[in-house]
Amino acid sequence: MNEVCFKNLDKENPASLATYELTGGYKVWRKILNGELSPDQILAELKTSGLRGRGGAGFPTGLKWSFMPRNQEGQKYVVCNSDEGEPGTCHDRDILRYNPHSVIEGMAIAGYVMNATVGYNYIRGEFMEPYYRFEEAIKDVYDAGLLGTNIMGSSVSFDLYTHLGAGAYICGEETALLESLEGKKGQPRFKPPFPANVGLYGKPTTINNTESFASVPEILSRGGQWFADLGVENSGGTKCFSVTGNVRKPANFEVPMGTPFSELLELAGGLKKGRKLKAVIPGGSSTPLLTAKTAMKMTMDYDSIENAGSMLGAGSVIIMDDSTCMVKTLTRLAHFYYDESCGQCTPCREGTGWLYRMLQRILDGNGKSDDLDLLMSVQEKIIGNTICALGDAAATPVESFIRHFRPEFEYYIKHGKSMVEIDG
Amino acid sequence: MVDIEFEIDGKLVNANQGDSIISIADREGIDVPRFCYHKKLSVAANCRMCLVDIEGNPKAQPACSTPVANGMKIYTKNDKAKNAQKAVMEFLLINHPLDCPICDQGGECELQDVAMDYGSDVSKFNEGKRIVADKGIGALIQTDMTRCIHCTRCVRFGAEVAGIVEMGLTGRGEDVKIEPFLTEGIQSELSGNMIDVCPVGALTSKPFRYEARTWQMNAIQSIARHDLVGSNIYTQTYRGKVKRVVARDNEVVNETWISDRDRFSYEGLNHESRSLSPKIKKNNEWQDVSWEVALDFAVSGLKENTQMPSQFGVLASKHSTLEEFYLLQKLTRSFGSENIDYRLDKADLSIDNSLSSTITLAELESIDHALIVNSYLRLEQPMINHRIRKATLSGASVNTINIKKFDFNYGISLEVLSAPQRTVSMLQSVLKSLHEKTRTTLPKYLSKTKTDVTHNKIADDLIAAENPVIILGEHINSNPSSSNVVGLISEIAALSNAKIANLSLTGNSLSAERVGFKPANGGSDVTSMLSGDTKSFLLMDVDPNYDFISSKLATDTFNKKNVFVVSLNSFEDEQTLSSADVILPLACFYESSGTHINFDGVAQSFSASVSSPGDSKPGWKIIKVLADLLGFEGFDYTDSSQVADDALSIDITVDNNSEVNIEVSEDSQVTAHWQNSPYASDAITRKAKALQETQIGKINDAFVSDLTAKELKLSEGDLYHGVPVSINDSVAEGCVFVHTYQSRQG
Repeated sequence: MNEVCFKNLDKENPASLATYELTGGYKVWRKILNGELSPDQILAELKTSGLRGRGGAGFPTGLKWSFMPRNQEGQKYVVCNSDEGEPGTCHDRDILRYNPHSVIEGMAIAGYVMNATVGYNYIRGEFMEPYYRFEEAIKDVYDAGLLGTNIMGSSVSFDLYTHLGAGAYICGEETALLESLEGKKGQPRFKPPFPANVGLYGKPTTINNTESFASVPEILSRGGQWFADLGVENSGGTKCFSVTGNVRKPANFEVPMGTPFSELLELAGGLKKGRKLKAVIPGGSSTPLLTAKTAMKMTMDYDSIENAGSMLGAGSVIIMDDSTCMVKTLTRLAHFYYDESCGQCTPCREGTGWLYRMLQRILDGNGKSDDLDLLMSVQEKIIGNTICALGDAAATPVESFIRHFRPEFEYYIKHGKSMVEIDG
Repeated sequence: MVDIEFEIDGKLVNANQGDSIISIADREGIDVPRFCYHKKLSVAANCRMCLVDIEGNPKAQPACSTPVANGMKIYTKNDKAKNAQKAVMEFLLINHPLDCPICDQGGECELQDVAMDYGSDVSKFNEGKRIVADKGIGALIQTDMTRCIHCTRCVRFGAEVAGIVEMGLTGRGEDVKIEPFLTEGIQSELSGNMIDVCPVGALTSKPFRYEARTWQMNAIQSIARHDLVGSNIYTQTYRGKVKRVVARDNEVVNETWISDRDRFSYEGLNHESRSLSPKIKKNNEWQDVSWEVALDFAVSGLKENTQMPSQFGVLASKHSTLEEFYLLQKLTRSFGSENIDYRLDKADLSIDNSLSSTITLAELESIDHALIVNSYLRLEQPMINHRIRKATLSGASVNTINIKKFDFNYGISLEVLSAPQRTVSMLQSVLKSLHEKTRTTLPKYLSKTKTDVTHNKIADDLIAAENPVIILGEHINSNPSSSNVVGLISEIAALSNAKIANLSLTGNSLSAERVGFKPANGGSDVTSMLSGDTKSFLLMDVDPNYDFISSKLATDTFNKKNVFVVSLNSFEDEQTLSSADVILPLACFYESSGTHINFDGVAQSFSASVSSPGDSKPGWKIIKVLADLLGFEGFDYTDSSQVADDALSIDITVDNNSEVNIEVSEDSQVTAHWQNSPYASDAITRKAKALQETQIGKINDAFVSDLTAKELKLSEGDLYHGVPVSINDSVAEGCVFVHTYQSRQG
């Protein structure tokens, strides 16, 4: 446990440059500055490692980096997505707090590989402490001469800036993040063109998640194969999971891919006494809900969770025991998406409000018998028709909650109250 | 280069790399529903109505933002596409008020049309609908934002075409609103186009509100005549009244847009001061009479007052039609007089300054440098300014020499201030600098001219450009040495290989030039007529208060006891009533057929959209009958197109009557420059109520620099000839720049 991004957690002053360097930090970066590591070597290691984008989509990081037109003239950018806003997730926050240098080194390496000399870390607006900590880390690195122009006399240049968001979930969507970074309203762009060709300020840009960047230095220092072997086939390495909900010790855990869900649940202290597992959202509120039976059989990796009918997503595991009212929970989630929709495109702007209003009406005891079919039909009309994934994310929980717990919804509509007696 | 082959709805088609699916579907006549897509605006892909199925793609893709690719198989009407389109339609309708019966957009609403094909007849939405509070955005555009579907066409229009970001999408989620950022209302001179681009009834024409249902109206092709462009329009009429004017596409003239002046001036047609019956003045009393009586009175009055032909003078507004100009000059010349003129607002008539433009409207888009002299281009020639703006978006630079720094909707590299009396020396310096830089022989008259960095920069920019243009604006007309300015501009253009765009001949001036509507062979020009021995005048659509460089001279002359004035006029204004002896009620814009010659030299004819009110008649008919009654031959026309044919086939050139004299001494006296604001440019516009209520309509300032103000003992807020003084450091020293809707004083 805690072998990559959280490897310094047990050290004193884990966020400091000294601690980071003591455990091999900036070794890879210095090798690059000494001309001992070529971009192609780095890409090969990353491909071997099986590292997949940790933000949620799981796109192979090595492949993503190789898409950048590195030899194209002009400015290119590396952007880190630290706008961690998915309900149920908070591990990137802890990476920024306790291991900021791994993100800095990862971004610098990315800049070197893709010939991008400027990087931005877009940090969620509410993350004040991580923001200051990251800023401090950047300052230390500059003071140590490890960032800037022609670093350590080499031909490598990389400048890094931090940008604090303003509290919009949608800015975690990479193109909305770019808009926001450019000083515009955070609204996703349509694709194509993709950021690798037309990104920040219209220039080629690669955007990766905090955890992805933070994993890179360790992968390169211990080898892609080492990382791949930590996990299972098709899901290399370790993954940080935030385990929240009805567990006794909600926390962040970095565990190898393929760890059984049941073990992860145990790590989080298990359920409260006398309670039974009812359902699990394995990858953040945007991923489909799974029933207890299915969840207990899965392991925490891309393929197993997909086979179970959901997604690894951002690794935000929300545990629900039998005291959870599904109607109330879904309504809360629907409100979140209704509130966070940017309002740009029609299905999401209108659909998220419609879903939320219907659910709230059911919760208020005014449900109608055909509401469930209508909910299903509305979510179906959102899915796949929007500019970005927020529409799908809003629809997914509605579909999976009703599919798995339809009788509970029907009961609520019929009786005007929850089937679950203790809601806690 | 056509390099992509793909299939759309089973049809094999070709396209260029980068073409969007929707543009090819449009080309192939395949109907793809859309709201946010507009061919002249950037792609937003936010309405999602144009979702189509692309084989191999799990999700339906928007046709507007998806480029075609080789081998693509696109289905616009299969189940997947239809389901996606219907889903979007349902979402668009849930919060739309569906108040079509009381919505002005009803009948021409894109949402309504598309809903007929893609909507369901029963709504499944049982929740409360969204209501949006309206913010007023001025006198021209009515907002009903509850109807808004957030397509952002208006926002993109403002940002991309008007060049003034006035509307935006604020808030988020279901609460997003299209609203103005400022409270003073929309200020763009092109704002009315937002009404055209709005697919729903959120933005509609305010003056048109509740006037008629769209299906009740006839749409008649016409031409707007306020500026040099001759924008193509439809006049929409109901029960013999023009109810609305909208843009008609013509890529080489006005593209898809029209100016607010062209769109809203029609309101003047129904003004209460319309002249509805012939009137004669007997013993200083006006009486309504029949046409016969009025014409007899006019003809005998003209004959009695005119002992010899040279005592007869004819003056016409520059907004008259080609036919009117042609017949009037024919009548005058039949009379034996050469006293004709349309250049009523020109201070310098010493030479024929009809400097020819050497560039077309469409070509203005591809210039790489413009030197704008004496023009507030954005307000005075909005569509030409739009072309220049497009050029600047592609990298063109612009310098200006103006009396004041004006508010352009693109960046100006160098804004040079010049009082009218110093414009000649300014241009002399530029010319000298050009001579020095091109190592050409310096003419003698420039030997003492001094140059500085400003002149050098203007010259450098002209030389460095590959495709420069010099734009001469209408402010030049009131410059007493405009012929020198024109001469210098010719020289500068020749030396720098710049094209010329002469916008000082605005309205329908080019028609007047075409038929020789200027004195030849020793005839009198307007100033000589007014100050000379002219005993009878025929005035065509002339307002003595507004149209002359010296309204005092004009009104004094017309008001003389022994001067007989026949006024063909659409309006009975105070000054017309006091000046004229006969008023022959004249059909106004859109009430008469005619021809306008635009900047490109293209003669665009139009038919009457409505018949003229009361007893008023089209100008060409009145002139024809007057000529008949005066006993002249050759006026047996039965249709205005015959007049136009004659006018365009006969070549009447009026020679310059003097040489260019560029040597001029600098006048150090403070001058006043009176410039009527764009919405006071002609009679009908001055009577258009909504236009007058806009910011542009209310322009009323006498700008003066701090130094000059001290010299003239003026302070902020004082009245300068009835116009409030505004002390402003963006105005040239040594002059007062009066920019106002008010009529000229003095």
